[in-house]
Amino acid sequence: MMQRKLTFLVLGGIFGFALSRVGASEYDLIYGMFTGTDLTLAWVMITAILIGHVGMLALNGFGGTTRRGEKITVKAKPLRPLTIVGGGIMGIGWGLSGACPGTVLAQLGEGKVIALATTAGLILGTYVYARLVDSESWPESRG
Amino acid sequence: MNGWYEAIFVNPWPWWAGGLVIGLLVPLLYYTENTALGVSTGYGSILKALLPRTHLSWLNSKTFADGPGWRLFFLGGMVVGAFVSARLSGRPLTTPEMGLFTATVSWTPLALVAFFGMGGFLLGLGARVAGGCTSGHSIHGIANLHTSSLVATIGFLATGILTTFLVRVFILGGGA
Repeated sequence: MMQRKLTFLVLGGIFGFALSRVGASEYDLIYGMFTGTDLTLAWVMITAILIGHVGMLALNGFGGTTRRGEKITVKAKPLRPLTIVGGGIMGIGWGLSGACPGTVLAQLGEGKVIALATTAGLILGTYVYARLVDSESWPESRG
Repeated sequence: MNGWYEAIFVNPWPWWAGGLVIGLLVPLLYYTENTALGVSTGYGSILKALLPRTHLSWLNSKTFADGPGWRLFFLGGMVVGAFVSARLSGRPLTTPEMGLFTATVSWTPLALVAFFGMGGFLLGLGARVAGGCTSGHSIHGIANLHTSSLVATIGFLATGILTTFLVRVFILGGGA
């Protein structure tokens, strides 16, 4: 169990380090991507997707098992009408804050004080979601 | 030897190096822990840690069956990794700046907190409604050719572009 947590700590550390190194935590680069004036981060994402895809093909080519020999299971998130709605809501937040749920953590680590407000908002927004799915008026409510 | 150290630990990385490392995390997380790369569900883990006795059904689903769990370690690692990055490149410990935004406007701290807090709120709500964020959908999901992730990403980009356009014109005073 401890080894598992340590693995996540180390891989999270590499993720945060890479996001910071490549400037994904910089407001100006997010702004540049969305205004089309600096596509650095778009290229980072496209490269990451391609490398991720090739890496998964390689992993499957080597038998598709984890380091402990378990079968790797990749599950697609379900496609629902709310997928595009939620995507649209998150994009507004991305444009306003210049951060996404991952890069805001890199901003925090870099000591960007304003990221505290973004993070607090993120936690609150997640809480409101948890309240909404329990309400009967939620579009996917089975109650 | 020094050149390599500087390139990796001191200087900013070129886009391809960032894409390479971030992309490799997708198979690495599966290989080590059979887990999909993703961040936004981790904010549920933070809530679970803050509200251990909550009755909200999502926070009592099997996603959080083992309590706040490993996601907190992943999110915490991200903060630490960026902290190390900023220290090695000799940046100040804290900064009130937020790039072009704070360089252009002269808002009160309260107004900045409200504005960025609202942005964060929409990030949190939207990511949950969409079922993931940039890492879980746009990188992990599209790398695995998941349709829902492509749809969510189209949503992120469409309103991200629109919102940034409005911010540029109405707040930062850029031309339309």
